[in-house]
Amino acid sequence: MSVIVRTISRVVAPVALAFGAYVIMHGHLTPGGGFQGGAVVASVVALLVVAFESGRWKKWKDVLLPLEDLGAMAFTILAFLGLGATFFRNILAGGGGLFGAPVPQLGPNPGALNTAGTLPLMNWAVGLKVIAGLGSVVILLSLFGREDG
Amino acid sequence: MKRWFFFAMLLILAGYLLGGSVWLRPFGEPPRSEMDRYFIENAQTEVAANNVVTAIVFDYRGYDTLGEATVLFAAVVGVVLLLRKVKE
Amino acid sequence: MTALHVLTLTLVVVGAALAAWFKDLLASVIALAGASLLLSLEFYLLQAPDVAIAEAGIGAALTAAIYILAIRKTRPKEEE
Repeated sequence: MSVIVRTISRVVAPVALAFGAYVIMHGHLTPGGGFQGGAVVASVVALLVVAFESGRWKKWKDVLLPLEDLGAMAFTILAFLGLGATFFRNILAGGGGLFGAPVPQLGPNPGALNTAGTLPLMNWAVGLKVIAGLGSVVILLSLFGREDG
Repeated sequence: MKRWFFFAMLLILAGYLLGGSVWLRPFGEPPRSEMDRYFIENAQTEVAANNVVTAIVFDYRGYDTLGEATVLFAAVVGVVLLLRKVKE
Repeated sequence: MTALHVLTLTLVVVGAALAAWFKDLLASVIALAGASLLLSLEFYLLQAPDVAIAEAGIGAALTAAIYILAIRKTRPKEEE
């Protein structure tokens, strides 16, 4: 792409990356979650692929495809953790350990990061899965038809 | 003839959509709200999450998210299979 | 408030019509991305910020990127 597109991409990409990471990490406190934040980060990958198209994205594809399986497996294992009661039972909530603190007060409040049990872990798993899945799809489509694809 | 048929179908569809948007229910007044009340009142004590939407998506209705993850996985597998490199 | 809704939705329809009307496919994709962005603004006005973030990420950015990659590998003009 042209110099204008490359310069704007260099400015926009870190900001959008930080916003996507924020949306994933604060999924249990603010609007958003794993899917939305993963879509934002995957759009950063798409922006970089469109702006700097070359064959060097090929090795990124080989990294991203196993990461997608890892995210899916982590999500399913977290769901199976609660199988003593029901599937998707939130066993960490209110337990006092990791992410086990109760909400600071009932009703509207700023919230604390160390709450909500398995929800943040599931947000990370789904976010990893969406980043890797959509990013590898975009990279594969950009490599289609090339000699080194 | 075919053209007029499609035009009539388009008019009917547009009429349905316009009617649906004009005679919409008032904003924020669902016909039944027992389940919404339950989620809003109990999500903070049961799941300890401030974001009730995330509490529903990942805890109360976790099967929906599992299905969504399966759909995304199937889409990625389809793209990888379709765009793989074939040895001549 | 109602005037803002009507203005946003009218602009969405205008963007979609422009996307169908342009002969240059790159301009058409950009009009479609603009319509998606305005649609995400409408979701935000309807108090659904989750859906707004997802629509802005997928509809405006990822779909446009995939269309641009597809246009680059084919012809940039629509043919009769």
